[in-house]
Amino acid sequence: MSTRLKLISTRAARPQAVLDIKGVSQIFRVAQTTCHALENVSFQAGTGELICILGPSGCGKSTLLKILSGFIAPSAGKVALNGLPVFRPGPDRCVVFQEDALFPWLTVAENIAFGLKGRGLGSQSARQETERFLSLVNLEAFADYLPREVSGGMKQRVALARVLILNPKVLLMDEPFAALDAQTREEMQNFLLALWKKLSHTILFVTHDVAEAVTLADRILVMGKNPGRIRHDIAVTLKRPRMRETDDFHHHCKRLYALLRTGDTGGMQSCQNPRMS
Amino acid sequence: MNDRTTPYRLLSWIIPGALIMTWWMVSRCGWLPAYLLPHPEDIAKSGYAYVFGHAEGGPYSGRFVTDVIASLARVALGFSMAAGVGVPLGILSGRLMWMDKLLSVSVNGVRAVPGICWLPLSLIWFGIGMKTTVFLIFLAAFFPIYLNAAAGARAVPAILLQAGAMMGVGRIRGVFAILIPGAMSHLMAGLRLGLGISWAYLVLGELTGVPSGLGAVIMDARMSGHIDVIIVGIVMIALFGQLSDYLLRCLLRCLFKSARRTP
Ligand SMILES: Nc1ncnc2c1ncn2[C@@H]1O[C@H](COP(=O)(O)OP(=O)(O)OP(=O)(O)O)[C@@H](O)[C@H]1O
Ligand SMILES: [Mg+2]
Repeated sequence: MSTRLKLISTRAARPQAVLDIKGVSQIFRVAQTTCHALENVSFQAGTGELICILGPSGCGKSTLLKILSGFIAPSAGKVALNGLPVFRPGPDRCVVFQEDALFPWLTVAENIAFGLKGRGLGSQSARQETERFLSLVNLEAFADYLPREVSGGMKQRVALARVLILNPKVLLMDEPFAALDAQTREEMQNFLLALWKKLSHTILFVTHDVAEAVTLADRILVMGKNPGRIRHDIAVTLKRPRMRETDDFHHHCKRLYALLRTGDTGGMQSCQNPRMS
Repeated sequence: MNDRTTPYRLLSWIIPGALIMTWWMVSRCGWLPAYLLPHPEDIAKSGYAYVFGHAEGGPYSGRFVTDVIASLARVALGFSMAAGVGVPLGILSGRLMWMDKLLSVSVNGVRAVPGICWLPLSLIWFGIGMKTTVFLIFLAAFFPIYLNAAAGARAVPAILLQAGAMMGVGRIRGVFAILIPGAMSHLMAGLRLGLGISWAYLVLGELTGVPSGLGAVIMDARMSGHIDVIIVGIVMIALFGQLSDYLLRCLLRCLFKSARRTP
């Protein structure tokens, strides 16, 4: 596991692609207007990579994630997971939603075990798995609590555990920590990194928070809007664990802010948008 | 939970208690003649005879068990048919546009007809007795059950269904593991309303001259001028209405986690 991590972080070789997105566009027609939510988005996600998708509000980040998870079919383009086309939601591409999406009538433990049912696992081993993931997210003491009885950070940890237990090929996270306070958000980021180090899933993490992206990512896809497209694909070479107080960290953030800003005004070369002038 | 609600339990007995006290006073002081409102003690005596008396003891003595069994059977049958049809149809039309379109005009049309209007027709169709009463109960209980189930299914947050789909839950399991629990508070409300109205239509069905039943006893007693028995019948219906509501809630709690855990 650790060797694989090193391989990615040093980027000695391109890791094998799990997720392959080719020329994805999404056009929404509402009343008389058409909205180009995404235009010609292409990228590949390698095994075990942690990719952040960073962009301003309304640039189509959630739309992209919905296409990858199979909730909506793109107007054009292809999405493939390990070479097979994606056309509906499934447990190989799990999502952690921004909003609270736990089942309010199930306890923490039952929520985590939910996806295991119907997988032909014996009740004994299902219970063991549940316990394992409960302790992985440090919630053993809260197994029998209902979602409304635990804090926002704990809820997101449950949301994480209930999908990790399904061993997805890709983990899609749509601003999962945006609703948390700054301190809890930082805790959750560290927590996610620790989990990732242990399990080394492939993660696509959507955020509009530059510092969050720099803290987490191997690679940042910077998006711009009108139409939504990927403007920059940046490797983050900062050593882990990353300290927010260091100059290097600030330097990275500054660079990203600059990229985001130029992306917005459309003044950069990388932005070729005929519709905007 | 329980120790917190105990004082509130007492609270709910204040109004009935006060009513009975007032009634006592009114009869005591002779403000109302006994043929309009008998003394509570007389009613208690009639009630005792009705429930525990021997068949030879008087016109109504000892009829209770037959009446209650007859009435309970009618309510149980009519209500469970209404629930059996109303809940699935409601959930379907809450989630499926075409089902909703298919049913909405007909359901609203039939619902606009007061239940009493069906009485003559059902007497012709089914004759006097069990079938007519069950039909009326079914018809009356169906609408609150159906409408609440539909509203509940519609109100289940889309994100929960998406979460299910993402975890590989198929359509059938989705219905039982997500839709029904998610709509549980609506379902419960609909079923309880339906059960309540079942008792109302039980009396309507039994007013038509069936030999036994709590409604029949009330009608009988009016003919023979036993106002005390009328009141006993009313009290019995109130008691059994409450009791059945309580049992329904227990049953749902017993069967569904979501019913136990709705706040
Ligand atoms: N179902 C839909 N129908 C019509 N338009 C939509 C739909 N979903 C999204 N859009 C449009 O697509 C664009 C991108 O929306 P999206 O939700 O993907 O943005 P986002 O990048 O996730 O923004 P945020 O950071 O605020 O969540 C928006 O202009 C939005 O109006
Ligand atoms: Mg979004």
